[in-house]
Amino acid sequence: MSQKDRRDFLLRIGSTAGMCAIGYQGAAALRSLVPNVSYDAPTTVKVGLPSEFPEGLKFLPDLRLFVFREGNVFHAISAVCTHLGCTVRAEALPAPETKTVDGKPLRLTHRFQCPCHGSRYAGDGSNVAGPAPQPLAWYHLAIAPDDGQLVADLALQVDHDFRLTL
Amino acid sequence: MERRTNSPYPRLDRPVLAVIGLVLVLSTVLFTVGDRQHEWRYYQYAFRNTVSEKFGPDKAKTVASGLQQVWVPSLGRADRCMTCHQAVKWAGFESAEEPFRTHPKEILRSHPIEKYGCTSCHGGQGWAVDLDPAHGPVEHWEDPVLGASLGEAYGLVDNKSAMMQMNCNVCHRYDRETKGADFINLGKVLVRDKGCRACHTINSRGGTIGPDLTFVGDKAAEQYDFSRLNGQKTAFAWHVAHLKEPKGLVPDTVMPNFHLSTKEAQALATLIMSWRRSPVPAAFVPGVPHSDPRTPEEVVVEERMKTGPGAWFVSTGCFVCHSIKVFGITSPAQIGPDLSNAVEDVQARFGRTIDDFLASPTGTMSVVLSRQIILTPEQKQVAIGKLREAFAEYQKQKAAGTLKPAASH
Amino acid sequence: MRALKLPSLPPDQEPGAPGVHPRPLWSLRPKSDRQAGDAVVSNFMLHWFPAKVSRASLDWNYSFWLGTVSAALLLLLVVSGGPLLFLYVPSVERAYSSIKDIEFAVTFGSWIRSVHRFGAHLMVAAVFLHMARVFLTGAYKNGIGQGQRREFNWVLGVFMLLATLLLSFTGYLLPWDQLAFWAVTVGTNIASSIPLVGPQVRELLLGGRAIDQPTLIRFYVMHVIVLPGALGALFVYHMWRVRKDGGLARADRAGRLPAPVAAAPVATKTYTLLGVARGTSPAVTTNRLVDEEATVNAVPDLTRRAAIVVLGTFAVLSAMAVLMRSPLEEPANALVTPNPAKAPWYFLWLQEIVTDTTVHIGSFTINGAFIGGVVLPGLIVGLLTVWPWLDRSPREAAGAWFPQTRRAQNITFLILTLAILILTLVGTFCRGPYWHFYWPWETWPDIPTRL
Repeated sequence: MSQKDRRDFLLRIGSTAGMCAIGYQGAAALRSLVPNVSYDAPTTVKVGLPSEFPEGLKFLPDLRLFVFREGNVFHAISAVCTHLGCTVRAEALPAPETKTVDGKPLRLTHRFQCPCHGSRYAGDGSNVAGPAPQPLAWYHLAIAPDDGQLVADLALQVDHDFRLTL
Repeated sequence: MERRTNSPYPRLDRPVLAVIGLVLVLSTVLFTVGDRQHEWRYYQYAFRNTVSEKFGPDKAKTVASGLQQVWVPSLGRADRCMTCHQAVKWAGFESAEEPFRTHPKEILRSHPIEKYGCTSCHGGQGWAVDLDPAHGPVEHWEDPVLGASLGEAYGLVDNKSAMMQMNCNVCHRYDRETKGADFINLGKVLVRDKGCRACHTINSRGGTIGPDLTFVGDKAAEQYDFSRLNGQKTAFAWHVAHLKEPKGLVPDTVMPNFHLSTKEAQALATLIMSWRRSPVPAAFVPGVPHSDPRTPEEVVVEERMKTGPGAWFVSTGCFVCHSIKVFGITSPAQIGPDLSNAVEDVQARFGRTIDDFLASPTGTMSVVLSRQIILTPEQKQVAIGKLREAFAEYQKQKAAGTLKPAASH
Repeated sequence: MRALKLPSLPPDQEPGAPGVHPRPLWSLRPKSDRQAGDAVVSNFMLHWFPAKVSRASLDWNYSFWLGTVSAALLLLLVVSGGPLLFLYVPSVERAYSSIKDIEFAVTFGSWIRSVHRFGAHLMVAAVFLHMARVFLTGAYKNGIGQGQRREFNWVLGVFMLLATLLLSFTGYLLPWDQLAFWAVTVGTNIASSIPLVGPQVRELLLGGRAIDQPTLIRFYVMHVIVLPGALGALFVYHMWRVRKDGGLARADRAGRLPAPVAAAPVATKTYTLLGVARGTSPAVTTNRLVDEEATVNAVPDLTRRAAIVVLGTFAVLSAMAVLMRSPLEEPANALVTPNPAKAPWYFLWLQEIVTDTTVHIGSFTINGAFIGGVVLPGLIVGLLTVWPWLDRSPREAAGAWFPQTRRAQNITFLILTLAILILTLVGTFCRGPYWHFYWPWETWPDIPTRL
């Protein structure tokens, strides 16, 4: 390789490496803005011992969640309206009805109505009237292994055949 | 076209540029490597393997990766301890080596991690994610983890982990005795028995001969006179030495020597260091009333209502409108008649038996029993049984002349 | 018809029309003098360079390129400050924990913060060295050019020095740790020793009577918007004046021929009808004042060296940030003064003077803070600012290292600089707890801790 070629090659390598290093450092500056720790409220929340939940429905206002209990079977439905996010209200049905939902029977004691724009939901959360585009979300329930409390996972949506049976 | 003038500089400048490029690339590689090398990555890997061995690979997939943080806004603490101490919330690792040990359950029931964080009890630097800065003390972070190693360093008698109770007392300082804080309790007993308040103001009460100790835990270390103290120059060591022999540290003091044992002196020193201004929200301080107070008589009456013979009427909600005086149940609203003599009263008013009435009620009761208090047939049978019991009691008391006047509506 | 032969263009090197690029990045690696000249008018980033520079200006050992180093550091401080702007929270409750987050929880956070911190310290040093170089070479003096106003450029430089020091000082407070809090306490207490208006000046600085949230937000806005904006504006003005004044002071006489030499006639663009018809063009005769060999194309020689300096500064800073950690002390505590409490290193010489100059005359006390903190720096800055007009040396002394005619002022300057350096070293290494004097070989006593 001639002198000039070698110099050109080194120059090329050197400047490419230098530019890559600088580019990488710029990318590093951007990567520093992607958060590693979350200051958001935790999404798996302990909501209390099963004995603290009555038959029927209990509303948890801080989590905007309805927890239903039928004997030893629990399920949880979100109270966040799927239209624009208001908190829906639960209204007791005059008489409870049983509906088959996703292949499993479900005893419905309430229905839901949103005060903001009038969306209506049946007792299993399905949207029946008004501007709501989607049914109310069902969230995963589990029992905490360390103290036996019910744990709601607000980041894990489940189908309408989900039941937590103690 | 003119050619480009030759310049002698490239020959000298190019090697310099090459070196600079090299330094840039090298420092970039170094800081990237430095960012990746943290002990917590190793500990998370090791824990995942342990879980996989013990509970199977499916469970191992649920082990979190990356920085873990507990953010407690009311205390302003962002604790990242669980990045390494992942086993804290897992059952089954009670006898493992740290950092893979399960946390004792009892204390977490009353002090859940989501509400308290980790460092409010254990001390240390919650923001840190590396071992030394997290456990402390390091330069510029002088609050170490109050654990067994610190206890060993101070030669604590008996329980080497007792120093942690210093942080317990930050919230529990007005308790006379705190369950689980034996070291602090010993200190509090000593304060009472040895009469420290004769000279010192403690918790805003006491004498003025000696200095006010209410917030002495906040006193800066450099304010103490260490000229006569041998050994480590720490405020804690000063207090232990001072308690054992006051004149040794302050020659012209009037504080007598109480001949305390080492354990007693250490317990008192721990207690003293816990007396700090600590702005915790009221919800964290025990003994702060969360409800308006009741007189002892009110408490007794309420207990009797909840657990006595009339408890069934309380649990169903009947007592909201109806008193059952013979069982000691007093209705707050007293909308309906006293049910003590319902058996004869229903007969008198409606010409029906209570069985009949409950099966097909009229008037207000038809609304209540169909909408608000829905009783199953079994519960109605229980109701009838209880009403008959009440009536029997009513007749007994009437015969004995001990009947209280019936509630009128 | 005799036509003036126009230069012919080899087929592979046609210059193209302005704005049409013969090769990508042609303006950075021109293949001909024509392209080199076009580069500075076609490329935005190169527009502040002249087409040709004297070789004397490019020497490493004349200026050491300190001005370029300072500018490079300013650029890096702005760039590293960008992510920090997103991550830092200027509230007294959250400032400290946001910096702890940057140190521990942000990817590359501690490196970015170290780049910023060491860049700040290096910039104060570089700016001072640049000023020293300009003074010692008399480059604030006008040379042989027309309409030069180098004294004014010097004044701009003094203002930029002050802006740099203020930037560093305001940034120092932001971590809200003990170091920050007490350094600012010392600094603002010195301000309050100004007679008559001192306490009001301090209240204005602090936004109150104590260092608290108003202080933090004031210093933050100064640090992030006001001072960088001011420094940026001064910087562009400073560069513009350098070009207007004909470049570095040394370049005035570089390559100057003893007498004007006739140069080849240069074709003009004026075409007469006859000229078009005959294929001739008027030409302009001209003289050359400067030896051709004494200048080089700015692109690539000046730009290559500027790139070396900027990238080299970057490399040094990057390496320093990897190898050394930035300190962060305990959270700010107004009730506990650290022992000893020191001003930032560039003010330590002033703190030394402040502690040594409290004078008692009978029952009348002159506060050392006033003498050492207000009078002395005020005198120095004032003297610096007006020095170009007090300088009586001849024009020939401009742009030369240690000329005979400026020996006295240079020596005085060096002595003062040495004094400041010694005071700074004493303040850093010889002042221990309680501000006692400790020789470097003596150990400082252990500072006691709580546990």
